[in-house]
Amino acid sequence: MNWWSSERRIPVSNCYWIVAIVFLLAAPSAFAARIGDLSETTVLEQAARFFTFQDPAVRMALIGCILLGICCGLLGTFIVVRQFALVGDTLAHAVLPGIALGYLWSLEKAPLPLFIGAVAAGIIGAVVVSLIRQTTKTKRDSALGIVLGGFYGVGILLISIIQERYPRDVAGLKSFLFGSAAALNESDVWMIGIITVVSVVILVLFYGQFKVVSFDGVYARSIGISAQFFHYLLMLLLAWAVVAALQAVGVVLVSAMLIIPAATAYLLTDRLHWMLLLSTCFGILVAAVGAFLSFLGPNLPTGPFIVLTASAVFLLVFAFAPRHGLVSRWWRRLKQTRQITRENSLKAIYHLQEAGGFAEEWITIEKLSEQRHRSAEETQQEVTSLVKHGLVLRDGNRLQFSPTGKSRAAEIVRNHRLWELYLTDRANIAPDHVHDDAEKIEHILGEETIRRMEESLNLPAVDPHGSQIPQVKKEVTS
Amino acid sequence: MIPEFDWGVFLSEPWNSYQIETTMKIVGMGFLVSAACGWIGVFLIVRRMALIGDAISHSVLPGIVLAAMLFHTLSGPWIIIGAGLAGFLTTVFIEWIQKHSRIKSDAAIGIVFTSLFALGIVMVSQMKGSVHLDADCVLFGNLAEVATRNGDFILPPNMIQAAIVLGLTILLSLMFYKELLVSSFDPILARSIGIRAGLVHYGKMAWLSVIVVTAFEAVGSVIVIAMLIIPGATALLLSDKLRVALVLSLVHALLSSVIGYHLALWLNSNIPAAMVVAGLLLFGLAWVFSPSQGIIPVWMARRDFSERIALSRSGRK
Amino acid sequence: MAESESESPALEVHDLTVAYHKKPVLWGVDFEIPAGNLVGIVGPNGAGKSTLIKAAMGLLPLSSGWVEMFGEPLEENRHRVGYVPQREDIDWDFPVSVMDVVLMGRYGKLGLFKWPKKEDRRVAEESLAKVKMLPFANRQISNLSGGQQQRVFLARALAQESDMYFMDEPFAGVDAATESAIIDLLRDLKSKGKTVFVVHHDLSTVKEYFDWLILLNTRLVAHGPTEEVFNPDMLGKTYGGQLTVMTEVAEALARDDGLDATRRH
Repeated sequence: MNWWSSERRIPVSNCYWIVAIVFLLAAPSAFAARIGDLSETTVLEQAARFFTFQDPAVRMALIGCILLGICCGLLGTFIVVRQFALVGDTLAHAVLPGIALGYLWSLEKAPLPLFIGAVAAGIIGAVVVSLIRQTTKTKRDSALGIVLGGFYGVGILLISIIQERYPRDVAGLKSFLFGSAAALNESDVWMIGIITVVSVVILVLFYGQFKVVSFDGVYARSIGISAQFFHYLLMLLLAWAVVAALQAVGVVLVSAMLIIPAATAYLLTDRLHWMLLLSTCFGILVAAVGAFLSFLGPNLPTGPFIVLTASAVFLLVFAFAPRHGLVSRWWRRLKQTRQITRENSLKAIYHLQEAGGFAEEWITIEKLSEQRHRSAEETQQEVTSLVKHGLVLRDGNRLQFSPTGKSRAAEIVRNHRLWELYLTDRANIAPDHVHDDAEKIEHILGEETIRRMEESLNLPAVDPHGSQIPQVKKEVTS
Repeated sequence: MIPEFDWGVFLSEPWNSYQIETTMKIVGMGFLVSAACGWIGVFLIVRRMALIGDAISHSVLPGIVLAAMLFHTLSGPWIIIGAGLAGFLTTVFIEWIQKHSRIKSDAAIGIVFTSLFALGIVMVSQMKGSVHLDADCVLFGNLAEVATRNGDFILPPNMIQAAIVLGLTILLSLMFYKELLVSSFDPILARSIGIRAGLVHYGKMAWLSVIVVTAFEAVGSVIVIAMLIIPGATALLLSDKLRVALVLSLVHALLSSVIGYHLALWLNSNIPAAMVVAGLLLFGLAWVFSPSQGIIPVWMARRDFSERIALSRSGRK
Repeated sequence: MAESESESPALEVHDLTVAYHKKPVLWGVDFEIPAGNLVGIVGPNGAGKSTLIKAAMGLLPLSSGWVEMFGEPLEENRHRVGYVPQREDIDWDFPVSVMDVVLMGRYGKLGLFKWPKKEDRRVAEESLAKVKMLPFANRQISNLSGGQQQRVFLARALAQESDMYFMDEPFAGVDAATESAIIDLLRDLKSKGKTVFVVHHDLSTVKEYFDWLILLNTRLVAHGPTEEVFNPDMLGKTYGGQLTVMTEVAEALARDDGLDATRRH
């Protein structure tokens, strides 16, 4: 939970990727072609070709995807922790008119005009959102919605005009809407590479400032960091990330690349620097795998496949994450429920012994099942589990505590009665209302809390219902 | 690039006796869709739920495609059921992610709607058959074609559906006006007097899905967001009364359809996008000139105020 | 009917425990309040004051316990309860006029598909007149001062014509004139036999305003007639910080995954 207070650490490892990629770019490339068209027969062989950079035809696509994975993974982390998901989506749609105008500039898919147009449109969109909010009563979500829908409308209008005028050329422009990794060429990849390097450098240089501003803007201002400057810097980097991802993922789905890898990382860690690192890894993974999947068949748009890969990874982590995952939580719950059942059986045996004035240590299983209001079969299962855990000794039909079982039973009963006493004595709760609560709490009271209660109640001997509170001597070994 | 503007060709000709039928149908369809979106949009905006509009409009796509694959049509009850189901699943998934993890609502919404939309697009790319449903339709809509299609009645089937949906939207919101108003404004009071705010919310989401689906073939799944938010946002700049704002959103829908159609004729462009641009221009006008919140009136009021203060100061001297 | 009512307390809360995300914010609260009292709910921040009135109105799931109004279950008495929200809970830019807000007070009495009638309008106008806000009936609610906004919500509560009112910090951030107007109104309600619960912060006015007190700090510290419970000893217990042990246990409960099923095992 407290990633902001953790020590400053910078995700340096990302830089190695960039070095590797720049090196690969220097190698000669050939025309892009779909690996689906090649002669390999199995998916595995195709995968081997795709991911080892051997195939010059898809090398650009793979490098582009890795770069956009880095860019989106890093920026997405800030999107998720600052709760900016809609901002990312808005910026992604708002770049469309800029793309159309940039295209019109040169009437081909030249990287630089597209980049300038898209970033300018994105920044204008962000400024319009701020202006609407500052000058009217319009709320944040509506202001974002207006810019998102409105700018997209302007973009589509421009694209449709271009389409009427120059019908042949528009295919390239349309690849921006749903993405096509196959359309990435060397100059695109150079541009994405430069964007990525500059973004990483800026993030590394201002890591501390970004961290403080994301966590607490007011505090940031009080120590002399301009929250507004860093907000707009973040918007600029965000616009860059959107542009980097546009070719492969497309305008409509770019926001998914910003949100899903970072959200997946957020399921696994509380610390900002780990989250940046994990999110980058997930970004690279899903972009590369998604692009590969879209290469397997003819006419498959890349963007949706990347997004679906990202959702699949998210679901996997959501289910199997070690601490917060569904499966591990279910497993912990199951274990604890079983432990509570055992402890309740121990308590029942203790109550039976207590009712007999502790004269008789052996208790019959029938008596236990009567005390627990359980069927004979259920009680047999409970007893088996107790024996397995070494808590009771069994002799045919009779039971007796083992030494550990005895001290655990005494602990549970003590916890129950102490808590009842505490509630009535310190919290003014009526004696007839405390039992149900204690049934729950007895299983989770820690030693520390017990000690504090005993001190506060002066080592009491009797609970509010007049029963003896057992004293538990902790064995030295445990 | 931009054709010369010719008053005769672009303004009066569409309304002559030869073309008026086409014009009326296209403008009418644009209005019906945009009005239904704008009307429910007002209720979304006042509850600060514009993001939900964004999400639902994307995430109904797989439902639409599935129903289209199975029943070979893009209008009628099956499409509405399919989309309603997808809309319902969206809300369930979002709540599920929020409940079982630390991910906040906005990111949860983002994850769910982009994933469902991506699924829909993959399904669209694999579609073959009699229905005209492709990526272009999702992105741009087919307004002109849909509005001039021949049906069993005088009007095209989609237009009849859109008219019914708009009528029901207004009727339902008037019937449940109290419940909508109080559960938006003060959910605690709503629940304390026995209104089930949760039910109202889900009902609104379900109806939003129906509207989005009805709009789908005409304007696609992305342009519809603009139609959900811009009319209501413009209306709420001009009036601070909910009922007036609702009526103004209809006016906005009508004006943006008419102006947008002429704009599209002039620029020879996509019609729904032109309607959105016209709507955006109207929003811009309201932003500048709105009597209570507009930039110019507010600036003038402030100038008057500071002048008066300056006057009273100099007077005192 | 009247006979049985005078015997049963206006509000009876029995062993009430409320938890947010499994973390208890109110533990085992028990009290009975006789009808016709002005009841102050007093305690430090985070003591569960708002939670208590929301739970009493049946708006929160209860971990344990139950609530009865006038000797009957809550559901049957919804129409007899009025509510004034905390100022921060309201979106003041919402496009409604003062009159619209006050008419909302009548919605509980109108059936499905019914619009407010002349009679409802008359009641709303009278309520507005009582808080001296009738001249502002057509104003949008954001164009009002803090005190005026509070009075609008009091008028709405009056228009509810309830027998029991819950008010969440009506005195927070209002001017002196509004404060005295509110207290006049509360006394007027009391004289008509209504029961009013008020979440209150200002200890200096407690003695003057309320004839019954509920002292709360995640558990019930004390309740009873003001002269009996409003003393330094009780206040020390109320404001003396939360019990460390209870805080620890609440944290442990919030962390825990397996306890939902405890009862059965």
